[in-house]
Amino acid sequence: MNSAPTSGSGKPIWVKPWGYAEGWFICLALLITGFSLQLTIGGLDPQTLSWPLNAYLGGGITLLLVVLWSFARNLEIVRWLARAPAAITSIALITFLVLLMGFTLQGSQGNPVWVQKLGLNHMTRSWPFLFGIAFFTASLGMATLKRLLPFRGRNIGFFLNHAGLYIALLAGILGAADLQRITMDLRPGEVVWVGTDQRGQLRELPVALQLYSFNMEEFNPKMTVVTSDSARMVDGIETQMFEITKGARGTIAGLDIEVLEYYPLAMAFDGRYEPVNEHGAAPAALVRARSGQGRSIEGWISSGSFMLTHMFLPIDSTYAVAMTIPGSASYSSDVAVYTASGDVFDTRIEVNKPVSAEGWKLYQYSYDQRFGRYSQLSVIELIRDPWLPVVYTGIFMLLLGSVYLMFLGKAPLPAEDTETGQEAQVHDEGAFAMLVEEDAVSTNPQKKAVTPTYESELVS
Amino acid sequence: MMNLDPTPYKALAIGMWALGMFLFLSAGKRRTVTLLAHATFLSGILVLAGFTWMLWMDLGRPPMRTLGETRLWYALFLPAIGYTTYIRWNYKWILHYSGVMAIVFLMINLMRPGVYDRDLMPALQSIWFVPHVIVYMFAYAVLAVSAIVAVKGLWLYYFEKQALSLSRFLPVLGPETDADGKVVPWSMQLADNLVYIGLGFLTLGLLFGALWGKEAWGHYWMWDPKETWAFLTWIMYLAYVHYRHHRPRQVVGPLWVLSMAFIVLMICWFGVNYLPSAANSVHTYTG
Repeated sequence: MNSAPTSGSGKPIWVKPWGYAEGWFICLALLITGFSLQLTIGGLDPQTLSWPLNAYLGGGITLLLVVLWSFARNLEIVRWLARAPAAITSIALITFLVLLMGFTLQGSQGNPVWVQKLGLNHMTRSWPFLFGIAFFTASLGMATLKRLLPFRGRNIGFFLNHAGLYIALLAGILGAADLQRITMDLRPGEVVWVGTDQRGQLRELPVALQLYSFNMEEFNPKMTVVTSDSARMVDGIETQMFEITKGARGTIAGLDIEVLEYYPLAMAFDGRYEPVNEHGAAPAALVRARSGQGRSIEGWISSGSFMLTHMFLPIDSTYAVAMTIPGSASYSSDVAVYTASGDVFDTRIEVNKPVSAEGWKLYQYSYDQRFGRYSQLSVIELIRDPWLPVVYTGIFMLLLGSVYLMFLGKAPLPAEDTETGQEAQVHDEGAFAMLVEEDAVSTNPQKKAVTPTYESELVS
Repeated sequence: MMNLDPTPYKALAIGMWALGMFLFLSAGKRRTVTLLAHATFLSGILVLAGFTWMLWMDLGRPPMRTLGETRLWYALFLPAIGYTTYIRWNYKWILHYSGVMAIVFLMINLMRPGVYDRDLMPALQSIWFVPHVIVYMFAYAVLAVSAIVAVKGLWLYYFEKQALSLSRFLPVLGPETDADGKVVPWSMQLADNLVYIGLGFLTLGLLFGALWGKEAWGHYWMWDPKETWAFLTWIMYLAYVHYRHHRPRQVVGPLWVLSMAFIVLMICWFGVNYLPSAANSVHTYTG
C-alpha cells in the first residue's frame, strides 16, 4: 500500500482527486485528535445518547450524507468518501484500533496506568474509536449512495452488503444506550417485580415473576483418580476418564476400574448408598478397582452435594478413585408471568430459549451454584432492546448480501474502472508478469500508460 | 469417553491422501494412474467424513465443542476444497498443498487425542450451534486455501530463481504448467474466487453467531475477545476485497494482505486462547 505523503503517481497531497495519501493523513489526524481528547477530557459515556437523542442523531447523519451526496458532490471530500481509497484507509484505521483492543484486556482491572489513560481498556468508549467509526460510516454511507442513485439491478448485491452494514452498525452503536439489562432474583413462591440494573440500582418493571420451581438436569459424572493426600486430580488422565454408568469399565492411572452399581440420586445409610428422591441427594456408585499388583478394592464413591460429603475410595497411599461433580445438561425456571397490561401466563424460561413479555425478553441467567440442582434461587435477566428490529434488518440484508456474494461473485466494477481497462489481465511475458507489474510501473514507460493511476478516478 | 477409536480412521485418511497425492505427481499422462489417484484421494475424504458421522452418533452431540473437534472438520473440508478447486479451475498444486495441510492438522489430532465426552453445556445446545460452527470451519478452510495461494505467489515473486530450479525436482514449488509443460502466467483469479466464497461464509458465520448470541446471552455483539478477533479477521478480508477491486492489477500488496489476514484468522481460531486479553472470554475452549 502507498503510505508516502504524495500519492503513488507523484500527485501532491490535497490536490484533486484525493487518493490514499489523503486517507492516511486523515487517519493520523483522527488518531492524534482522538487520543488528545481521551487524555484531556477522558472517555465517553454511552448512556448520554439515549432515546430520542440517538434517533435524531442517526437520522441526522443519514440525512446529512444524502444531502451532501445530492447537492454537494462537487466537494472533493464527498466524492472521495464514496471511493475505495477512503474505504480502505478507514478500514485500516478500524483494524488498527480493534487490533489494540484485541491485545488489551478490556475492563477496569489489570492494566497499566498509561493503557487506562489512553482508553485502550475501554476501546469502544474511547474518542479514537468514535472518530474511526465516524470515518468508516461516512465512507460506507457515501459508497452506498453512489451505487444507489440511480439504482441499477446489477448493484443489488453491493447495496445489500453496504446498506446492511450501515444500518446494523449505526443502529447497534446508537441503540446501545437504550439497551436495558436487569437481573431479577427469584425464590420459590415470591412474586418479584423489582430488579437490579447494570449500575446496581433497583428498578421497578412492568413484568412480575413468580418462581414455581428451578429445574436442573445433569450429565452423568465421570470416573477419575485423585491423589490421596490432597484430593487433586492426577495429571494427564483427562483422556482416560470415563462416564459413569452401571457396568462401565476403564483404566485410569494404571488402575482397572469397574462400575458395579450407579444411582443418579442416592443417600448414605451405614456406609452404603440407597437410591432416594429427596432434597440433597447426590450421585453415588459402587466401584471395584484393581491396581497393577492385582489387589482389588471395592467401595462406594459419590460426588456429594451441599448436604452430603464427597466420597473417595482410597486405593493406596498415593491414589484414590473419585467421582467428578456432574456438569449441568440444562437448567430452567417454571414461572408465572404477570404483566402490567393484565396478562397472566405460566411458562418455562430455559437457557437459549428466552420468553417475551411486555416488550422485554426474559432469559435464564444464573442460579446459586453452591447448591446446584437444589438451588433455591433462580436469576432471570430481563432485556429490552428497542433498536433490535433495525439491527436485524441490517443483519438480514447482510445475510442476503453474503449469499449473493458467494453465488454470483464479486460486484461489477464501477464504470470508471472498466472504461480505463483496469480489469485483471494476463500478460504474455511469462509466469511472473502479473507479479512484477508493480516494479515495472516505474521502469517500463509502455506499461505506465495502462497502469491505473489517480487519473482513472477522475471519471466519477 | 467414547466407544469409537479414532486412530485407524484418521491414519487411513492420512494414508489415502498421501498415496493419492503421490499418484497424482507420478501419473504423468497415464490415464489409469490418474483415475486411481482421484479415487484414492476422494476415498480419504470419504473415510474421514464417515468417521465424523460415526463420532457425532457416538457422542450424541455435534462434534464441534473442542479445538480438536474443530480441527477434524477443518481436515475434512480442506482436501475437499482443494480437490474442488483442482477440478473447477484446474490448479494441480492446490490439491497437494491443501492435502498436506489437512494431514498436518489430522496428525496434531492423532498426537494430542482430545477429550471426547458427551457433555455439552446448556449455552451450546442451540439450533445455531451446528450452522455457526460448520459455516465457520468451511470459511476457514476456503481461506486457508487462499492463504496457500498468497504464500505461493509471494514465493514466486521474491524467490523466482529458486522456485524455477527447485521445480525441476518438485513441480509443486514452481509455477503452474499446462499439459505441455508450458508455464501458465500467474493470475489473481483463484485467490479472488476463494476469498469471495470464504468471505461470504465468514459473514454468514459471524451473523449466525450474532443471532445465536442474542438467544443465549441476550445480546448479539459483546466485544468478547473471540468476537473482537472474528471482527478483525472479517475486516482484513474486506480490506483485501476493496484493495483488489480498486487496484486490480496490483498483486504483491494484496498477497501480503491475504497472508496477514490468515494469521489474524488463526489467532481468532485458537491463538485467542493464549492471549491474556482473553482471560474472561466466553469462547475459550480446551482440547
